[in-house]
Amino acid sequence: MTASPARLTVNAAPVDLTPVPVDERLLDTVRWRLGLPGTKEGCRTGECGACTVLIDGRSVLSCLALTHEFAGAAVTTVEGLEGDPAGARVRAAFEAEGALQCGYCTPGFVVALTSLLKERGTEASAEELLEDLGGNLCRCTGYAAIVRAVRRIHGEMP
Amino acid sequence: MPAFSFVQPSTTDEALAALRQGEPGETVIVAGGTDALFELESRRIPPQRVISLRHLPWRTLSWAGESLRIGSTLPLRTLESDPDLRRRIPGLWQAVRAVGSVALRHRATLGGNLGRSSPASDLVPILLALDGEVDIVGIQGERSLPVDQFVRASRTTALGPGELIRSIAIPEARPSAFLWQRVRPANDISQVGVAVAYSPTRKEWRIAVGGVVPRPVLLPQAERLLSGPSPDAAELRAAAQEASMRVPFSTDRRASEAYRRQLVAILLQRAVRAAGSRPSPSGAP
Repeated sequence: MTASPARLTVNAAPVDLTPVPVDERLLDTVRWRLGLPGTKEGCRTGECGACTVLIDGRSVLSCLALTHEFAGAAVTTVEGLEGDPAGARVRAAFEAEGALQCGYCTPGFVVALTSLLKERGTEASAEELLEDLGGNLCRCTGYAAIVRAVRRIHGEMP
Repeated sequence: MPAFSFVQPSTTDEALAALRQGEPGETVIVAGGTDALFELESRRIPPQRVISLRHLPWRTLSWAGESLRIGSTLPLRTLESDPDLRRRIPGLWQAVRAVGSVALRHRATLGGNLGRSSPASDLVPILLALDGEVDIVGIQGERSLPVDQFVRASRTTALGPGELIRSIAIPEARPSAFLWQRVRPANDISQVGVAVAYSPTRKEWRIAVGGVVPRPVLLPQAERLLSGPSPDAAELRAAAQEASMRVPFSTDRRASEAYRRQLVAILLQRAVRAAGSRPSPSGAP
C-alpha cells in the first residue's frame, strides 16, 4: 500500500526511513536524527513558523508533519539553501539589513520567504510578501529590519 | 516501538480497504494534518492507526460553467492560487486566505477542515453561504450531502466510520465576501467570521456565521431582510440587528458573547456591501 520508496531526501542527501518511528515529526527527524539545528522548535503547535522547511520547494511547518508522510519527497532546511538562488537572495538581504536579533526565528523567516519567492517570483508586491510572512513570529519584535530586508529583496527583483 | 501504524493509500480502493480493517474508533484520518497532528500531540492515548490521504488522486480543482468542484485533499494554497477563484467567488478566496499562514495552507485542505468541523472554522461559513455539497465515498457506496446537513456539532459530522470526503461542489459562482475578526491575523483563530453570498439565479442572499457553538449557522431570517443584490442602509441595519440577536453566541477565552454580538452586526454590513460592491457611506471597507 505504501508504494513510494521508504526514503526521502534532505538537502539532496538520501535518508532511509526504515529506522524512523511512524509517529516521528519531521521537525524531530531534521533536528535530532540528522543533526541539522537550523530548523527551530518554537511552539510545536503550528503558530510561530520557526520550524518552517521546504517540501518540494514549498514552505511547510515541520512540527505538524509526520516524516513518513513525505516518503519520496525532497526536504530542504535552511542549511540546504546555500546553493539556492532564491535562498541566497534572501540571506543576502537579511545580512545587509541586520535583520535578526536573537536569531531564533531567522531560519524560519528565511525559508518562508524563499518559498514565497520561488512560488510568486516577481508577481508579488512587497505588501503581499509581508502579508504572506504573517505566519512567522519574532518574539524579540525585531520586525523593522525584517520588513526592510523584504523591501530590499523586492527592490532587487528584475 | 511505534505508537501507531501508518497507512498511506494511493487509490480510493486502497483507502476504503484500509477503512475496512480495524476498529473505527482507533483510526485517525489525516489529510493535511495541520489540525489532526496538533490534536494527536496532546493525546494521552495515541490511536492504533493513522491513515494519510496525501497520496490519493483527490488534489483536483475543476470549473464546469458556473460550478466548481474542489478535491478534498487539494492544499488550500493551491486553491487560493487558482486564477479564477478570486474574481468569480471572492468570498471563498477570502475565507481560504483567512486560514492560518502560507506554510500551513501548503498542507491544510478543504476536506480536512470540513471533516474536523471546528465551530471557529473559517471555511464552513462560506461553504454554507455558497450552498456547498459534500461528495462522500464509502464502503457502502457514494452519497452527497449539503454542508448544512454534513456539519453537525463541534468536531461532529455526518461522516460515517467507513466514509471519506472525496470532494466539495460549489453549485454556482456568487458575488460573496468573508470577513473575520481575531487577535493576530495569521497565527490565531477567528472570534467571529461572517460569510455572505448573493445567488443570481435564486435572487436571494445567504448569510452564515462562524465562531458560534456548537457549529457555524445560516441565518435565513436575516437573509430575508435583504432585497436585491445591493441592499440599502436601512435593510443592512435591520439584517445586522436580526443576526446579532439571533446567533447563539457564547463567551469563551477568545471573546465575550457581547463582543461577538457587536462584531457580527458590523462585519455583516461590511460583508454585504463588499459582496454587492456598494461603497459604504464613510468610504471604509
